[in-house]
Amino acid sequence: MSPSYDILPVTLVTGFLGSGKSTLLADLLHGDAAKDTAVLINEFGEVGLDHLLVGEVNARTVLLDNGCVCCSIRGELKEALATLFSQRARGDLPPFSRVVLETTGLATPAPIIATLLADPVIRSHYALNATVTVVDALNAAQQRARHPEWLAQVSAADRLVISKSDLADPANLAALARALAELNPAAEVVIRASASETGDILFAPAISTDLMRRLGSVQRALPSGAAFPGFDSATSVEPATQCNGAGDEGSYRTWSRDPASLAHRRAVSSLAAPDRPASQDIVSFCMQIDEPIDWQVFTIWFTMLLNRHGDKILRVKGLLSIAGCAQPAVLHAVQHLVHPVLHLDAWPDAQRTSTLVFITEGLARDSVETSFARFRQHFEEPDH
Amino acid sequence: MCGMCGLLGGGNHWSNTIPPVKGANARSQRLIHVALANRVLASYRLRLDDFHGQSFVLSSPTGASELVGDFGQVWRVAEQMLGRPLDPLTLFYADEATPPPTPSSTPPSGDRAAATTGHRFADNQSAS
Repeated sequence: MSPSYDILPVTLVTGFLGSGKSTLLADLLHGDAAKDTAVLINEFGEVGLDHLLVGEVNARTVLLDNGCVCCSIRGELKEALATLFSQRARGDLPPFSRVVLETTGLATPAPIIATLLADPVIRSHYALNATVTVVDALNAAQQRARHPEWLAQVSAADRLVISKSDLADPANLAALARALAELNPAAEVVIRASASETGDILFAPAISTDLMRRLGSVQRALPSGAAFPGFDSATSVEPATQCNGAGDEGSYRTWSRDPASLAHRRAVSSLAAPDRPASQDIVSFCMQIDEPIDWQVFTIWFTMLLNRHGDKILRVKGLLSIAGCAQPAVLHAVQHLVHPVLHLDAWPDAQRTSTLVFITEGLARDSVETSFARFRQHFEEPDH
Repeated sequence: MCGMCGLLGGGNHWSNTIPPVKGANARSQRLIHVALANRVLASYRLRLDDFHGQSFVLSSPTGASELVGDFGQVWRVAEQMLGRPLDPLTLFYADEATPPPTPSSTPPSGDRAAATTGHRFADNQSAS
């Protein structure tokens, strides 16, 4: 999977205004941890303070000077990344081997990811390693209710880091972690207890055995009563679903194996902010398919789905069992953007169940699952 | 690039990913993709053809044709040619209509209406 030429991993650090992105970077990127790392910081507004907080990594910092990283200034981001790579190639900068890109608090990650994926120059030199979203433990409920960017940032995350945990009530903190795990089941939820706690929050790849552990051949059941302040947690579990009550330690999830071999098994949760009716349609669900998938049929279906409903699909992430292929394929999409499909070396166990986590807005689970079932059935029949 | 025919690999769209399956190659996968897409498009009287392993040509019975780069664009251009949406949520609804849908297999009410409309459209449409 690793290319022989230079493609630098980019870690996207996002999070709402004041959530602690810069503090996280300042804590994590010093000493040896900052070695080989270039940091791009995007400022918002005329007074950019973020670069002051980064401190030691300033020497390798390029400031984007045009406000929010969004569609309108994708060229700016492209230019910054291309310049960074040129400086590295010329020897103007030390030969860093990874990049951290901190967005503004008002940025939605999709355009940034689009820049990394779609631009022919940038995608030849950079690859998205992981999207890390910092969530403010104290203000998450209000930000969720008032700012759509918060939801876009959480939905796009591979890793959700809860900041300011030392200031939050432990019960509320646990409820927040559960609520985030419900909202984005594909993401790892990390509660950052102290500034001295480092860990591999930034640089651990999003596609890893950990993802397989979370998604592979298990069925997600719902934590009971995730009472997150400001959230109305409505959950539903199918009768076939078993909740064993023994959650994955530290992950705020409860998983159980379903003895019944169903073609489509799922557990669904929905989170809605009561004072924001527009987001009541947001659901996350897990689509599981026991039989190996025909890759060509899947691509026809998924390209059609993204074409017509891409704006309603906030996130898709999961593993696919391709017919005739012993290796699991990793599918990763943010809205209508699909990352390059990778094939992992092996499945974690004997189970070969395709598992896709969807986070959608206004797109029902049944519609998606029934649609794919129809496609499979239709293409299994001989052409007339 | 294919050493035999000198054709390019079809671009880097994710749908061009070749699974590590014995015997799989870009050319055969592309042709299978086109054949499957035509099973969707045929009922709308549209046709998709591979163009030198690098692009596709989408054609209508009126002679209109357009070059498209990847499957992400095929459906968008097809919708433009048809002047109507191609919704995968309502396609092939008739396939499972025998026997009559049970409550568990019945799509949501909104979808049912859309599915019916889509099916009728599939029977009576004409490409522009």
